[in-house]
Amino acid sequence: MNFIGFGLLYGLAVTAPALTIGIVGGKAAESTARQPEMAGRIFTVFILAAAFVEALALLGFVLGIMVVGKL
Amino acid sequence: MEPTAAKAPLDLLPEKVNELLGFLGTQNVNGKPYAATDFVLTNYIFFLFISIVLLSIVIFIAVRKLEMVPKNKLSNAVEALAEFVRNDIAVAMIGHDGAKYFPFLATMFFFILMNNLLGLIPGCKPGTGTMGVTVALSTTVFIFFNAVGFKNQGLWGYIKSFSPKGVPFPINLIVWAIEVFSAILRIFTLAVRLFANMYAGHIILGIFAILTALFTEPLIVAIETHQGIGAAFVGALPSIGWLLLMTALYALEFLVAFVQAYVFTILSAVYIGAAAHEH
Repeated sequence: MNFIGFGLLYGLAVTAPALTIGIVGGKAAESTARQPEMAGRIFTVFILAAAFVEALALLGFVLGIMVVGKL
Repeated sequence: MEPTAAKAPLDLLPEKVNELLGFLGTQNVNGKPYAATDFVLTNYIFFLFISIVLLSIVIFIAVRKLEMVPKNKLSNAVEALAEFVRNDIAVAMIGHDGAKYFPFLATMFFFILMNNLLGLIPGCKPGTGTMGVTVALSTTVFIFFNAVGFKNQGLWGYIKSFSPKGVPFPINLIVWAIEVFSAILRIFTLAVRLFANMYAGHIILGIFAILTALFTEPLIVAIETHQGIGAAFVGALPSIGWLLLMTALYALEFLVAFVQAYVFTILSAVYIGAAAHEH
């Protein structure tokens, strides 16, 4: 039961961040292609946004391990 | 098949992972069970001190003989990172007077980077892999940017600056309360982001290392007893894949060590920049 719960928690916690990382990365690639001279600033913004989003996914992972207490 | 290898490798995984999680928890250096209220040296704080000593040595060697054009490789590396923190984090995020806050940001960046990198050495722990250290770091940032705000905008000016201009009276107060709450929440978000990245990364690396070892174990037993080496060899083949995956994840964790130090510093710079100037 713990396995199912943990799997569900991680799967649900990671869906929205996965979509968002895709959007952020795609937009970063698109804007770099449109304006290559701004690549440095765009990369900074991309890393910042990705870090914000990634934290949510990791929070689900760590929270699951902490709540279940074991795997 | 060997009677010792009767259990499939994957069946052994849960108990090994529990062992790993126990190993990743906070432990006392003296071997006694850990209680949160004890004032003792724990494994994370031990490696925190080691990383402070290492960082001091690295920086000391790097700046011992300063030249206009540094030939020392270490000096070059440290100088490149310091310049990156000054130009791309401090000045880019805070503005023309960003270089004033460079010492604080550089301290944060190098401290977190050294801790993260030390944690990647097998057997060592990242000092930033425990909640206590990251909350202390983010509280330092919180106090620093509030102090900068009070100093630059004055007491009333800084308190007022949380609510945006041009918002009518009653909504004004609600926005102010939400903004203040989210500013206090920054302690938590900064700390959790760094902690979760380090903790989750080490759990994943540990799980792949365990998988590699579990699939190789029957082969070692078979070679020792000279029985069923062929079958055990086929059974050990997946561990090549696990090893390759672990190597790839190791490279990723190396990147994450840099990116998390960068993200922590750049967010601190964004908060300081927001507090330092009136909008």
